[in-house]
Amino acid sequence: MRNLFVAVILSSLLSGCVSSRIEQSRDSSTGIESHEAIVLLGRASYNDKQTEESFTECIADVLGEGDNPIRLIGQSQFRDDLYPWFEPRTAPTSANELGRLFTEPGVQERIASVNVRYLAWIDGDTVTIDSGGSMSCTISTFGGGCFGMSYWEEDASYEAAIWDLKTMTSTGQISADANGTSYLAGLIIPVPILARPGNAACKGLANQLRAFIVGES
Amino acid sequence: MLLVLQSCTTSVVVDGTVPTPLVSVIPARMGVYYSDEFRRFKHEEVFRDSGGWRIDLGNQNLRFFQNLTASLFAGVQEVHQPPLTTEEMRNLDGVFIPSIEKYGFLTPSISGLKFYSASIEYRVAMYDKVGTKIGDWNIVGYGKSEGGLFSSDEAINEATALAIRDGGARIAIELIDQPAVQNWLRSKHELIEPSAGPPGAAESIETPETPETPETREENVGVAPDA
Repeated sequence: MRNLFVAVILSSLLSGCVSSRIEQSRDSSTGIESHEAIVLLGRASYNDKQTEESFTECIADVLGEGDNPIRLIGQSQFRDDLYPWFEPRTAPTSANELGRLFTEPGVQERIASVNVRYLAWIDGDTVTIDSGGSMSCTISTFGGGCFGMSYWEEDASYEAAIWDLKTMTSTGQISADANGTSYLAGLIIPVPILARPGNAACKGLANQLRAFIVGES
Repeated sequence: MLLVLQSCTTSVVVDGTVPTPLVSVIPARMGVYYSDEFRRFKHEEVFRDSGGWRIDLGNQNLRFFQNLTASLFAGVQEVHQPPLTTEEMRNLDGVFIPSIEKYGFLTPSISGLKFYSASIEYRVAMYDKVGTKIGDWNIVGYGKSEGGLFSSDEAINEATALAIRDGGARIAIELIDQPAVQNWLRSKHELIEPSAGPPGAAESIETPETPETPETREENVGVAPDA
């Protein structure tokens, strides 16, 4: 029983390899005051792609912690406060449209009231690009177990487009790509060796976004 | 057998936030008629794979439209089914009637996608003070939501609430730009002008500030009045 417990703990600690790459392009200088905030908005389009809410929440968690946390406004609250201008089909698609949007009654005042300085649009998703192997599990009155091995490869590709709402310009883009293969080995009990490319992309993108916003990179 | 069938039906009472739109007010006092079907709209459907669904979106839809119309028009009053008498129309400039033409949804097992999705086709009709139709428009709202294996009801709730929200956004932004509405507002203003109507109203009608993105411009073609 103890061995089984150790095996379960060990299996949860096993993780697969992930390779990731972060790239950045800057259009203008940035900086943020302590009273200013940023908003992370996931892009949603009406096809089979949509930025997972869990990904933007992951970035928000990373940005909101540490020695120099950045003040964040939740995307649901922001979308409600600025309804109907940041809905999937009405949101501005480029920073050039901000000037016209700010002429709408109440929009500029509402943004100023919560001191939102930057808007970061998060676009992308994590997809399974390959999978294979086989594993079967059986259970009977004499016991049971799993035998075999399966794997799946995932690719996480995301981009953050950062707009400065004070100057109404695009300040730059950061892209994060991560790739990893996870395995599930059946050795009586199933032993997962999980690669988490989505998590790697989130942390890489969030750390780069923090450095970008405060003007360190 | 009845018990088995009932246990396979997922019931969803749609609930969500009701944001107040930040849009230019249409300078008109409108009577708004919500039919019983609109107030209590329910959708029932049975899929071979995922069982039956009973989706009640009437209350959320009603709350959303009550808030939307209160922000969209200078004045709003709920009215009974038209025609209204001259006396009932005395303090109103027209009547606004929203209805639901179609509702549909898809689960990942049907669509093969990662999301639950919902769509609502609204029909919005407007009549002037004497009951002449100004126009009617069909607007489709879409919503989609990620869903876990054991939270399909939450995902359908969220997708439906987003579809209501999307339809409402289209109405809030695009209704004032419709040529029939513009013409009606202009003629209403001309009638009021000699007897000192509200001066601010005319300015906001003649210089609508609603932005027109390439996407909304394209969609405007699809919501042209068919009356």
